[in-house]
Amino acid sequence: MNDRRSRRDALAPVGFLLLVLIPLILMPLAAVFVFAFRGGAAEFFEALKAREALFAMRFSLLIAFATAAVNAVLGTYAAYVLSKYRFTGERALGIVVNLPVAIPTVVVGTSLLLLWGPIGLLGKALEPLGFRPMFTPLGVLLAHLFVTFPYMLGAVKPVLDELETTYEEAAYTIGASRLQTFRHVLLPALKGGIFSGALLTFAHSLGEFGATVMVSGNLRLRTQTAPLYIFAQFEAGNIAQANAVAAVLAALSFGIFFVLLRYSGRREGER
Amino acid sequence: MSIVLTDLTKLFHGTRVVDRVSLEVANGELFVLLGASGSGKSTILRLIAGLARAEAGTIRLHDRDVTREPPQTRGVGLVFQNYSIFRHMSVAENVEFGLRIRGTPIPERARRREELLDLIGLGGLGNRYADQLSGGQQQRVALARALAYEPSILLLDEPFGALDVKIRGQLRQSLKEVQQKLGVTTILVTHDQDEAFELGNRIGVIERGRLLEVGKPEELYFRPRSSAVATFLGSGTLLVGRCKAGEAHFGPLVLPIPTDVPHEDGARVRVLFRPEHVELLEEEPPGKLVLGRGEIVQGTFAGPLRRIRVRLAPLAATRQIAPAPPYGETGLLVEAAVPSENERIAGRPWVAIREWHILRRPAPRILVGESATAASEALTMGRILERALDGALTVLGVATEREKEEALRATLGQRMKDGGFPNASVRVRHGDRADAILQEQEENVYDFVVLGSEESHGDRLDPVIETILDRIVTPLLFVKREAARPERILVCTAVGEPGKADIRVGGWIARQLGARVTLLHVAHSGGEPPRWVRSHLERGVATLGSLDVESEFRIRTASTPLQGIREEETATSPGLIVIGGHGPQVRSRVAIDDVTRQVLRFANSPVLVVPENA
Repeated sequence: MNDRRSRRDALAPVGFLLLVLIPLILMPLAAVFVFAFRGGAAEFFEALKAREALFAMRFSLLIAFATAAVNAVLGTYAAYVLSKYRFTGERALGIVVNLPVAIPTVVVGTSLLLLWGPIGLLGKALEPLGFRPMFTPLGVLLAHLFVTFPYMLGAVKPVLDELETTYEEAAYTIGASRLQTFRHVLLPALKGGIFSGALLTFAHSLGEFGATVMVSGNLRLRTQTAPLYIFAQFEAGNIAQANAVAAVLAALSFGIFFVLLRYSGRREGER
Repeated sequence: MSIVLTDLTKLFHGTRVVDRVSLEVANGELFVLLGASGSGKSTILRLIAGLARAEAGTIRLHDRDVTREPPQTRGVGLVFQNYSIFRHMSVAENVEFGLRIRGTPIPERARRREELLDLIGLGGLGNRYADQLSGGQQQRVALARALAYEPSILLLDEPFGALDVKIRGQLRQSLKEVQQKLGVTTILVTHDQDEAFELGNRIGVIERGRLLEVGKPEELYFRPRSSAVATFLGSGTLLVGRCKAGEAHFGPLVLPIPTDVPHEDGARVRVLFRPEHVELLEEEPPGKLVLGRGEIVQGTFAGPLRRIRVRLAPLAATRQIAPAPPYGETGLLVEAAVPSENERIAGRPWVAIREWHILRRPAPRILVGESATAASEALTMGRILERALDGALTVLGVATEREKEEALRATLGQRMKDGGFPNASVRVRHGDRADAILQEQEENVYDFVVLGSEESHGDRLDPVIETILDRIVTPLLFVKREAARPERILVCTAVGEPGKADIRVGGWIARQLGARVTLLHVAHSGGEPPRWVRSHLERGVATLGSLDVESEFRIRTASTPLQGIREEETATSPGLIVIGGHGPQVRSRVAIDDVTRQVLRFANSPVLVVPENA
């Protein structure tokens, strides 16, 4: 550990840092809750009980669960393939699967529309068959899967890369098939990575806005997620409604964040 | 036999990390593969376990060919250096894993697990997890896990490498006991020779993917066959001298050569003294084998023994291989180990030896320059030599350009396989044929180079042969047409000063082939030849006689040496003509057309050119 400066020396730099952070981060964090309860608890719960608000929150949670579940499987599989097999184009594929974090989410939404939409490349062909994913919950799920895909990979692949191959090899010689080895040897070792990856995916899905607003059509009681609801209510001037849902969303995110923090802290301690 | 490996070969980026390894391990044997890191020993283990695929060769476990089988069905237990205990499973679960996979009923599993934990000395620790165990304990668990499902073969890859010395000793003992108790055939891989000596029923020494020697620990230590094994195992002094009349000469030291390691007169002989067989004495001892008097240059206390290095005056016509002489060292260095309580040794002791070991002659290496298009007459001859000399055959193909190397390698590999040359190494180079052959010879040092002619050049000498002849220092065998195993060998001492190398090399080949030798001298004019010619020929016959080679000499009269040799060839049709050569020389602008070249051009029999210094 570096030699820490004494507490007195720290006074000025810490004070300055706080001075910057208070308006930048701490006050906005607080503002959500302050404004949500400005009209009292009764008004807060009233705002939450609105049919559209309840739907938006439930829909958001559902989509977040589904996204986390699908990507937990898909991302783990992708991490396994990328970590265990050597093939041509391996590097290229590694870059492509991580690309979604780098693309603006609105652009993602647009390209999904251009692909699956009624006049899109695939959409045009599928439309007559009655498959119209855009402006439906499925469209929202597709967008969220795309946007959050790298989080799972990023949480699982490093664990897999670091795990010595001798564990698997030991299992193979003992007689375990590839599947049994994955189930009994790799999966338990990956549990932590998968858990934090899934939580991260869940959190990002919960707050996703850019891509969602494009592909959902922002249809009330059909495809409107909580962030879209907040934005819509704000635009309509219903500040109280918007604030109530925003506070719930913020509380949820804090919750997930603290779980992740504690969890990763514990895993650090284990080593 | 539990384990039979045949010509096992593994390539990694074109290099043979495992090079034609053949090995048999008996039931219940504990076999140790010993080698430096990167020697390919672990790869052999992985091939046996099925974790890597062999490019060539077969693996048979208990008379079942498993070469193409996955690791799951081979029935081997494998223990790694890093233990690889499953961290989320308890010790008990780890040990039971193999049984669980096999669907063994729970009570049976528990019984077996308890049995094994007791056997390895971890009874009562079944509920612990890996992070609650020491390294030694983890390795014991790994051993139990690998034995739980009763594999027919146990493989251990540097199992004690990560442990400290004391724990290592305890674990070795446990392993030996467990292995003997269960009688499971075991291969252990290590770089630690103490471990190899302590554990191995037999040891195999691996270097650069090749299994150099296999034998009991004592055998390999006291009677190694090659200098590589002699210097890899233990320390000691390894010297090269010359053979004279059945005895090995190292300066003043003359040692008898045992009959089972035949050496010809003039051949190099290597002798090994282990440090404990070297005596350091204050006064010149009578009746002992004395190397001379030297000075102590280094003394190290090593517990029961004191290791001492003594420098002596160099021995005449003797070269030192081990201990490797430091740069600038001109003296002879001898390693000795004396009981450490003996503190009187100081100053200038006399060095005597109690025991010594004469190494086997290394197998001669034969290089065949092979034609790209079809099996050549050179290859047939190369094979005859390989058989007769018990040598190692390497076949070199030369491609016109780099891109064609791989195709040529495949063609030659197939040709060797089809032609029944499974042991031949195939090498491929590209570019000019003569340059490629010379380069290969320079880099890998062969004892014989066998060449045919790519195409007919009429009465002219193949320019490739011409170039090589100018620059080569080893005997070159030129084969024009398909030839059989030579029964008569014609040694031409016709030219220049009476050569000795040609008689020596020709005689040695004749002995190995069981062929008769005719020594030929061509005289310019009739009448009695000069006395020195007759005496030279008589001495030649005597030399050959001492090699147990039947020989006679003949003096022909002819206008030119070539004519005499041609006449003799027509009359007796020898299977091989041996003639001296000049060795490397500066190439003059006008090609020198000496007798050697004339014979190469006109003789129909295979011609062996022996450079004077070969």
